[in-house]
Amino acid sequence: MQHQQITHSGDSDSIKVFVRVRPLTQGTGLTTDGDQGLCLSVTSPNTIRLHSKPEPRTFTYDHVADMDITQDSVFSSVAKNIVESCINGYNGTIFAYGQTGSGKTFTMLGPSDFDNFTDDQRGVIPRSFEYLFFLINRESENAKSFLCKCSFIEIYNEQIYDLLDSASASLFLRENIKKGVFVEGAVEKFVTSAAEAYQVLSMGWRNRRVASTSMNRESSRSHAVFTMTLESKETAKEVVNIRTSQLNLVDLAGSERQRDTHTDGSRLKEASSINRSLMCLGQVIMALVDVSNGKSRHICYRDSKLTFLLRDSLGGNAKTYIIANVHPGSKCFGETLSTLQFAQRAKLIKNKAMINEDTQGNVR
Amino acid sequence: MDTTLSTPTTGPRLSHTEITNMASTYSHEWRAVCDKFNNAQDLSEVESRKDPENDPFRSKYKARELLREIYCSLKNFDVGENESVNDEADQRPTEQPVDGGMEEGFGRGHCGDSPAGSRAAKLGAVEYYLGVNHVETEELSAGEEHLMNCMTLLEKCSISPENVSLFIQVRNQLGILWAGRDEIEKAQGFLETAEAMYIRYMKEDGQPPMDLTEFFVAEEEALPQQERTKRFEMAYTHTLYYLAQVYKNLEQYEKAGGYCHSTLQRQLEFNQFIPLEWAINAATLSQYYITKTLYMEGRHCLSAASVIADLAGEVPSEAAAQESEAEAEKRDQLRQKRAEIARCWIKYCLNLLQDAKKLLEDNIGELDMDRQAELRATRLQEEEEKERGRKSAVLFGSSDTFDSICGLEEKVSCVFPVDFEEARAIFLVGQTYVNQAKEYFEMDGHVTDHIEILQDHSALFKALAFFEEDLERRCKMHKRRVDMMEPICKDLNAQYYLLVCRQLQFELAETYYEMMDLKLAVANKQDDLDAHTVKKFNHLCSSSTKFYQMFLDSVRSPEGKWPDKLEDEVLRPALVAKFRVARLHSRLISSSKTVQLENLNRALECYNFVVQYCKDNPEAKSAIETELELSEEMVSLLPLKINRLQANLASSN
Repeated sequence: MQHQQITHSGDSDSIKVFVRVRPLTQGTGLTTDGDQGLCLSVTSPNTIRLHSKPEPRTFTYDHVADMDITQDSVFSSVAKNIVESCINGYNGTIFAYGQTGSGKTFTMLGPSDFDNFTDDQRGVIPRSFEYLFFLINRESENAKSFLCKCSFIEIYNEQIYDLLDSASASLFLRENIKKGVFVEGAVEKFVTSAAEAYQVLSMGWRNRRVASTSMNRESSRSHAVFTMTLESKETAKEVVNIRTSQLNLVDLAGSERQRDTHTDGSRLKEASSINRSLMCLGQVIMALVDVSNGKSRHICYRDSKLTFLLRDSLGGNAKTYIIANVHPGSKCFGETLSTLQFAQRAKLIKNKAMINEDTQGNVR
Repeated sequence: MDTTLSTPTTGPRLSHTEITNMASTYSHEWRAVCDKFNNAQDLSEVESRKDPENDPFRSKYKARELLREIYCSLKNFDVGENESVNDEADQRPTEQPVDGGMEEGFGRGHCGDSPAGSRAAKLGAVEYYLGVNHVETEELSAGEEHLMNCMTLLEKCSISPENVSLFIQVRNQLGILWAGRDEIEKAQGFLETAEAMYIRYMKEDGQPPMDLTEFFVAEEEALPQQERTKRFEMAYTHTLYYLAQVYKNLEQYEKAGGYCHSTLQRQLEFNQFIPLEWAINAATLSQYYITKTLYMEGRHCLSAASVIADLAGEVPSEAAAQESEAEAEKRDQLRQKRAEIARCWIKYCLNLLQDAKKLLEDNIGELDMDRQAELRATRLQEEEEKERGRKSAVLFGSSDTFDSICGLEEKVSCVFPVDFEEARAIFLVGQTYVNQAKEYFEMDGHVTDHIEILQDHSALFKALAFFEEDLERRCKMHKRRVDMMEPICKDLNAQYYLLVCRQLQFELAETYYEMMDLKLAVANKQDDLDAHTVKKFNHLCSSSTKFYQMFLDSVRSPEGKWPDKLEDEVLRPALVAKFRVARLHSRLISSSKTVQLENLNRALECYNFVVQYCKDNPEAKSAIETELELSEEMVSLLPLKINRLQANLASSN
């Protein structure tokens, strides 16, 4: 008899990676101002070469966009398909990842002033709203009706804040057998048009800034998750068919900030003498347990709030795109390399859970 | 200087007077040095936390200045005062000491407590603090230089209570520094030397050594012995903690595990731990042991985890939690962590049963009597051996907790069960922890966790069923599994829990399949099949089919299309499901020939699917070799049977 375990990860291709190289600019306050040296070049629509020493390194992704790409074609390659799937009942997630200043906000929102709904430079989010409501209006002609709700939360320091209700205390994540993972008590606003959705977004975005001054935190240290829940109702032959789906738009904390909390590499964690806590011991043990596999074991350390909330998006039952933004300046080499490496790892993210199959039955 | 400063032959060697004496003629200046040192410590450890974000190292830089001043003063104190301390320039070794050769550098040069040794240690301590300061302000090479200066100064000294702390702590720091530069072997060298020095010191001397801070305090402020011990042992605990990380990074997992264990043990022994954090670490370590089939060690960690978690206090009542946020958080923390430990216990019981099952089963998965007898015989002997091994293993516990930990251990066995009674005892312990874990991980709010616990519960039943000889009773155990999983499988939203749904569907399908097999085995012992048994049997068959079918449907696209190519992760389960559905159809019992024909045709269809799929995708063959072989056989045999049946049916019409 053999006993076998089979890993499984829904749609293996559920995570796609799009790399966008921002143009060099002057006067943005970046350390790279005036530095014309480039650390990378785009060698094909899906490869990027990093001029590392001694050997240049080539990375391959689903799509690589060079400096001259338009906002519209970013939207077409990344979001169009995901928005369409949402209308059809799939969950979808778009992440923006990268160093602060690498163009995340520009890619996702567009130029920094906010009344640019018609601006040519508007980003993935406003375009997604427009396209979503364009599709809703089209589908509504065929006896299908839609209900659209938005929520907007921020994860800072493993605490969850509601950006649509700046007065609220921190919120909790919960799971429900029907609804999956959700933020308990988060405000949900009904919207009926792209303009309304955009209004909700910019209101929340302003709160994020307010919060960042009042609590002395930088926006680049927090993750923001904008969620649209779409409910469609179709009546055909007296049978009502209700589908719900979620579109998550996620602005991750600047990648350079992630490093602070990251323990990868060989760096030893020091003992903090203050609370007599050897904080990292658990992680060491965890690494030991993870190596010897095949047996059923329980790991006591919880997911981070972000990965828990977006569990479906990372190797689950959803369509996910990660936009990795990089700055081409040679001074950003280190950050760019780590962003490219993250983006490559992201391709490998798979749900670790398994289907246990006991094959003893096959001989009987 | 006074000659009485040489080591007294009796009594405690360590004397504070000696150290301060050195500057006695300068007591005024010495006070100033001590004040500066205190000031530097305060700046570095307290003030620095309030530094503004745009000037993060302000206080550290101030502390650094003070340390530099101290260094200059110290050098001036002794010039011309002490014959044995010559100019550093000619004493400095041409090569910098590099650790790694464990015992190297022990016991040479000055006595640690000679005036020269004492001076070297003091200068070394300042170098140490300067080194740490530079490392903290991200000037690694300058930091390294200071730490190496400290090493050089110590090189000249033998280990003594005055300097042993410094010997160890400077190596801890160098270990961290080199690991940060990705030179793990170098870090390993320093840390292993620190470890060896501790062991040797404790063996040869062992009195509570002086703390680093004591080089610069007035006599009346010397630390009590107990505090000295505490700080010294803490520094060594850190050495082990860093070694655990180093070995993990070097992928020497067994060693890393051992050092994690020692770190935990020492935290307990010296009362330097936060109960819940400690308990979770110990529980996690137990999971390492059980994956290595070390059940005695695993059980020990778990018992300790449970006992220590209880030290974290009573769970505040629900009412209290509603009153205050702090109580609410405490309540949640305590309940969650205890539930987590319970889940580690569940895995312990589960793996112990499953491993025993693997040892005892024959080639068709039934209990092998010969092996059972064999295992029983070897066990007595093994137990004695284990007991011996146990005594050499590190045990957890402080004086207050040791008995409770041992008491808890006695409640469950750590050897493989050989018969139903023994298996049941382990099962029951596991089941108790299942109930405990479910109290916190309720379905409403913790869906994934709750279901995982149920899956473990089901697996416990499955493993126990193996030991049950009565087939009817065995069948009832499987029925319990169905009862706990079926309702959830129906309610769970597959859009969010696709994977869990698939796991449940597959397991339910297999459980019904198993029950069907058992019913058949029972029926075969009877002379003829009564209608009731047939009905029951067919019901089990179709239930199994239904869940396999649900699983197969989950592989389809939302439009209901079957994929041309199965994803790697569902390849085997999906083909196995098809194969089982085929068998289930061919087993259904019916007196109607038309129905029989229908069933056989469906079975053939499914067998064909498996064969055809492997023809189109040859790489799939290896994943389901046995099933494919049987399917091919059936694809050639079934048509004959179908034809015969068809002919039979035509003639009777």
